Amino acid sequence: MLSYRSRIAVFVFLTPPLLAYFVAVVLPIFQSLYLSLFEWDGIFDPVFVGLGNYVKMFTADPSFWGSLGRSLVYVAITLVFQLGVALLIANLLTYATRGREIIKTLVVLPAIVSTVAIALLFRRLYSFDPPGLINQVLSLVGLEGLSRAWLSDLGTVLTAVSVPEGWRFFGIYMLILYGGLLAVPRDLEEAAKLDGATEWQIFRYVRFPYLRPVWITTAIMATTNALRGFDIPYLLTNGGPGESSELLTTYMYKTAFAHTEFGYASALSVAIVLECLIAVGLILFMVRKRGFTV
Amino acid sequence: MTSEAIVNRSLSSILRPGTGSLGLHRIFSQAIILLIVLVQVYPLVWILLTALRPAQEFAAGNPFALPSVITLENFQRAFAQGNLGHYLLNSAIVTLAADALIVALGMMAAYAIQVLGFKYSRFVLGLFIVGIVVPAHVTLVPLFLNYRNFGLLNSYWSIIVPLVGFSLPMAVYLFQSFYSYIPRELYDAATVDGAGPYRTFFSITVPMSVNTVVTVVFVNTIFIWNDFIFANTFVLDKDMKTVPLGLQSYMGAMGSIDWTATFAAVCVTVTPLLLALLVLNRAIIYGIQGGATKG
Repeated sequence: MLSYRSRIAVFVFLTPPLLAYFVAVVLPIFQSLYLSLFEWDGIFDPVFVGLGNYVKMFTADPSFWGSLGRSLVYVAITLVFQLGVALLIANLLTYATRGREIIKTLVVLPAIVSTVAIALLFRRLYSFDPPGLINQVLSLVGLEGLSRAWLSDLGTVLTAVSVPEGWRFFGIYMLILYGGLLAVPRDLEEAAKLDGATEWQIFRYVRFPYLRPVWITTAIMATTNALRGFDIPYLLTNGGPGESSELLTTYMYKTAFAHTEFGYASALSVAIVLECLIAVGLILFMVRKRGFTV
Repeated sequence: MTSEAIVNRSLSSILRPGTGSLGLHRIFSQAIILLIVLVQVYPLVWILLTALRPAQEFAAGNPFALPSVITLENFQRAFAQGNLGHYLLNSAIVTLAADALIVALGMMAAYAIQVLGFKYSRFVLGLFIVGIVVPAHVTLVPLFLNYRNFGLLNSYWSIIVPLVGFSLPMAVYLFQSFYSYIPRELYDAATVDGAGPYRTFFSITVPMSVNTVVTVVFVNTIFIWNDFIFANTFVLDKDMKTVPLGLQSYMGAMGSIDWTATFAAVCVTVTPLLLALLVLNRAIIYGIQGGATKG
């Protein structure tokens, strides 16, 4: 049992951090839930509408469903890099004989660059006139036909705003997965090799099962991060042209700070939270269904 | 090692007898790795090259050519046009204050939870998960309104508060998991010597936390220095702009952008983080690499 003196100490040590956390995180979450029940432009008196905002969101707002769909595409494209390509490269890197240390540092570099700088960079890379790096490379390899204004072409803009997000944290996820692969017992692989297993079979039946816990963690981190993706699409196109690159996050931001519909924006932000919780739940559900056993 | 020896060695690794298919496999996988490294790094190298290139040459230019002359004019213009010095100062103030708060508050919470211990300590630890799972967007509207009521918009605090709040959970977890490895006997000895909870904190826990502090500060400095969403929402005043907002102002109206000066500004603003990454390289790389396996 704690002495009286220690109990006071717990109080002294715990109050400042909890207070800061409460003011910055916990209280605003409840305020958002509360505000989402009102219609309010921030100037006149708020009007209580109950669940009206949610009803409107789910039944009468095509922009909501459109943005949600595009957010999922954004997540999918991001995950192709952060889980797919990252796993491939992490696996290949374990076979590399030298240069591993420098490669590990180099691939992480984009992660320290601010999203504003990345948006500036990609705006220039995607540029059509004057031709940016991507269009220049295309004409260099004789694919001028594919050149286009990547950020104003309705068919490419969503992909174009998603790729930078996948690119920038690729290195972090690659490193995490690489760390997981290093933990696979060597003798197990040797035994499989002696039994005549191919590299693919070793990956599929020895390495990947061992990697699974790390893989799940990585999947959750990458997915929830991508669902929050905001800065780069907001800065590159601000959802345009039209709504063709509008994500749930940019839509919510616009509703709040361009149209000052604070009540409806709060309902949208609650939807973003739900979306993250559902995603984590879904990943864990799929994992459970396929079994935790190695 | 001479370059000839390197060539010989790589040749022998490719042509090692009896590993024909493996050799091919190796060349192929090295090519893919090289391609990815290029994709990750070349855009950043290109930013640097652009920043060092005369403006006229950039307009005409071949993106893969080295600058014909290296010039620092772009950097001069970057400082002259924007308010770069001021942005850097604002960001430095916000980063230092937020880092200090995150470290101090994180250590305090972890000390109370892990070392002192109390009945609901696991519950409090669980409470911090909320800040990791919940996206910051949900707090933007309420914080904006709260700040407006208290006249805190356009202040350093308006950015520092949410940055600290959302970084605190990870810091608490890192310190807490580190404190769980500090042997109990150390604390018992301190107690026998008559040290109370406060002296123990300052004489044992804090000095032992140095490595974790470095990790927490590095990770959060990247997050804080680069924060866009909080600053963009709560800061409208030109004089309070941090680096990311400042960079945005280089994007002139109607797409008229002085690209070489803009990329010079980007280079300046990324330098502090780059230096930190290079100095702490091993600790950081192995920290990320080991992060999920220890978990």
